[in-house]
Amino acid sequence: MPSILKVDCVTKNFAGLAALRQVTFDIEEGRVCGLIGPNGAGKTTLLSIIAGSVLPSSGSVIFRGKRIESGKSYQAVRAGIVRTHQIPRPFRSLSVLANVELGIHFGRSSNRDDSSNEAMEILEWVGIAHLAPAAASTLSVGNLKRMELARALATKPSLLLCDEVCSGLTESETASVLGLLRGIQKTGTTILYVEHNLKAIMSLCNPVVVMNHGQKLVEGSPEEVQSHPLVIEAYIGKKAA
Amino acid sequence: MKARQNISGSRKILSALGEVVLAVLTLLPLGNLSPNTIRLLFVTLVWVTVSVAWNLVGGFGGQISFGFAVFYGLGAYTAALAINGGINPVLSFVLAALVAMVASLLVGLPTFRLRGPYFAIATIGVSEAVRVLMTNFSLTGGASGYRIMEKGVFRQLDHYYAALILALLAVTVSIYIRRSGFGLALVAIREDEDAASDLGVNPFRAKLLAHAIAAALTGTAGGVYARYAAFIHPQGVFAFNIGVAILLMPIIGGVGTIWGPVIGAVVYGFVNEELVASFPQLHLLLYGTLLVLIVLFEPEGVVGLFRKGYPLLARIRRAHAVHS
Amino acid sequence: MNAADLMNLVISAFLLAGVYAAMSVGMTIIYGVMKIVNLAHAGFLMLGAYFVYELYERFGIDPLLGVVLAFPTFFLLGMTVHWLLVRRIPTSDQPTLPSLLLLFGLWLILQNLAYLIWGNSDRSILTPRTLSVFHLGRITFPMVQLVVFGAAVASLTGLEFVLHKTWFGKAVRALMQNSEAGKIVGVKVERTARVSFGVGIAFAGAAGGLLAMMYSFSPDFGGLFLLRAFVIIVLGGLESFTGIAIGALILALVETFSILILPANYQPAIAFSLLVVALVVLPQGVAGLWSRRRRLA
Repeated sequence: MPSILKVDCVTKNFAGLAALRQVTFDIEEGRVCGLIGPNGAGKTTLLSIIAGSVLPSSGSVIFRGKRIESGKSYQAVRAGIVRTHQIPRPFRSLSVLANVELGIHFGRSSNRDDSSNEAMEILEWVGIAHLAPAAASTLSVGNLKRMELARALATKPSLLLCDEVCSGLTESETASVLGLLRGIQKTGTTILYVEHNLKAIMSLCNPVVVMNHGQKLVEGSPEEVQSHPLVIEAYIGKKAA
Repeated sequence: MKARQNISGSRKILSALGEVVLAVLTLLPLGNLSPNTIRLLFVTLVWVTVSVAWNLVGGFGGQISFGFAVFYGLGAYTAALAINGGINPVLSFVLAALVAMVASLLVGLPTFRLRGPYFAIATIGVSEAVRVLMTNFSLTGGASGYRIMEKGVFRQLDHYYAALILALLAVTVSIYIRRSGFGLALVAIREDEDAASDLGVNPFRAKLLAHAIAAALTGTAGGVYARYAAFIHPQGVFAFNIGVAILLMPIIGGVGTIWGPVIGAVVYGFVNEELVASFPQLHLLLYGTLLVLIVLFEPEGVVGLFRKGYPLLARIRRAHAVHS
Repeated sequence: MNAADLMNLVISAFLLAGVYAAMSVGMTIIYGVMKIVNLAHAGFLMLGAYFVYELYERFGIDPLLGVVLAFPTFFLLGMTVHWLLVRRIPTSDQPTLPSLLLLFGLWLILQNLAYLIWGNSDRSILTPRTLSVFHLGRITFPMVQLVVFGAAVASLTGLEFVLHKTWFGKAVRALMQNSEAGKIVGVKVERTARVSFGVGIAFAGAAGGLLAMMYSFSPDFGGLFLLRAFVIIVLGGLESFTGIAIGALILALVETFSILILPANYQPAIAFSLLVVALVVLPQGVAGLWSRRRRLA
């Protein structure tokens, strides 16, 4: 399949600190690409750049052949890229249904007139339809994460950026969310999945990109990555001489 | 679930009340009311329009502007100039709305890049700058004001119904926006502008649009008022006090709700008229104290009190039904 | 215009800048420590003016002494206001709306109280000093300006001393840079906030007294200076004290030299326009330009 997203030599500096250093990789359409690395590796920064909310200091992000760095995330949404947030950011005074409807109105859905029905369908698929009328401020973390997914899906993305969707969830909740992601992949949506939970990543993603200190270390299938010496060193440290 | 029931219950009461009030307002003046009472109602209706309009930007959108006097004053002067130029009053009001809209773009383009209090402060600056300019603008009489000379007999009811129709329009627009996707976007922007952008909302454009609609309504209200008063001056229509009053009304009534601004405008309109008559030197004290009390104890204003009081009322009613 | 006139204008601008700087310090402290935009600053400037005025008119106390007395008086007043009102509203690391509205309401109240007590007419403080003039070669300027400038510099120096040499000052600077870290290290946030608010109001009152020595005043006196303070703080970067000095200088220079092109009535519009320009073009103030350059290096 052709590559839907190309990250080309992306560098990002923050006040003298290099958060990202010439990161380059491709994502094939329809894949679930995992992005892992120790804390501070730059994963979320890279995600924010792809999502359009941050501008790279240099380099480019090419989506379906067009450069899309804009610094304005709504432009990325129009192009078909949407993200979920690591720490959920619900609109507290709106209901869960309204939160999702927002995605329908301002994403790429063609169902704006029937937004509440469409939103209900998405909420059902994600498993929180029974919470539709509730105020978003009353939800548990697990359900907030599902709402984040639902909201993002409402914008009908071609590329979904998931930021630690499983962090803070129990084993069974995690398995359930992973099932959702598989289902999303089946509909043809490409996923870039940032996660700390290595088991989740390895069971779901192919390829996997490993980052450390703002640079891409390794890229390959889960098996290749797991046994790669650089990856082991990054997570555990150099073997004592 | 209970809280939601209370909100929809109280909402039903409020809208039923609204329909009754509307019928009364439409028919009342045809009876035998003193011109003074009609004047009071007229001024209150003008305030309702402005209050509801400000709420679009400040309540729904969360962008607190101290500078709406600019649109009110520009609308007043535009209508005044147009009417004196022989243009039909309704057309003059439309012109007032247009001028106010253009002004809203000029103000919004630089200032909406700012967030929260910085935006608020910038609007203070803009408002005062315009006031100073208009005070020195000799074409419109400068500080000594501008007089409208409209041909024909003065019919108070004409003005009253103009204000009523405008207020109705404002409330309708407000309800429509609140229930639309645009209204959702505004609330989302108020809560978390970046997260709204992450879902495809263009915050800058949404704010500008809300601002333009609000300015148009406010400008028209200024025009309606100017035609009635037949004399306007910069200290009256561009004053900082007007800008303060405009934001005070929705806050008193319940900022961000649909009916809050209406209630706040009624409270302000009546209280202001009575106060100005008896204690002209106390209104800043009153409004300042009101603001402080609202911020400290009931940020949701009168509507908030009502929402909290409704379950209490329901309980009292139920207890009464059991015992009788 | 000859060189002497030019020098005159420049020196006037400098002297004015000193006063403007002193006036803005109060707001900066409160904003820096508590992230509150103190709209009531205008009200306390005004009260400071009346305070010094009353001390002079009733007890014959020299206005300069009045300004000195204003410091402790307004310090206590500020702490009281904090205890009564300010501590009850939510604060965060961004300015909040409730704080803005609360202090705005307080300003309205102060204005009205002043109006009830003193009426609407303009007052001014007239001492022999007010009319005397200072000569430096061919340059002349009012003695008052020089005195006020001196007082402003003295109080700012005092502030610098407190901030850098006392424990309280260190606590304030810590909170200004990072309130979370400050809490961890043991800074008592509410107490420091209360004292900071007091200090901020103390400076407002004293500055008001200084301004009263130069200008006439009435209950709505503060508004114009409040906006000037905003301009200065925004130009200076909202949290840096050297920034205030720079911002004050820029504003004073622009205002002083604008008299050459604009008629006097338009003067207030300058501060306002500069404010909007500053907020939009330089959101981090002039200081922000510097740090940006350092970042790219």
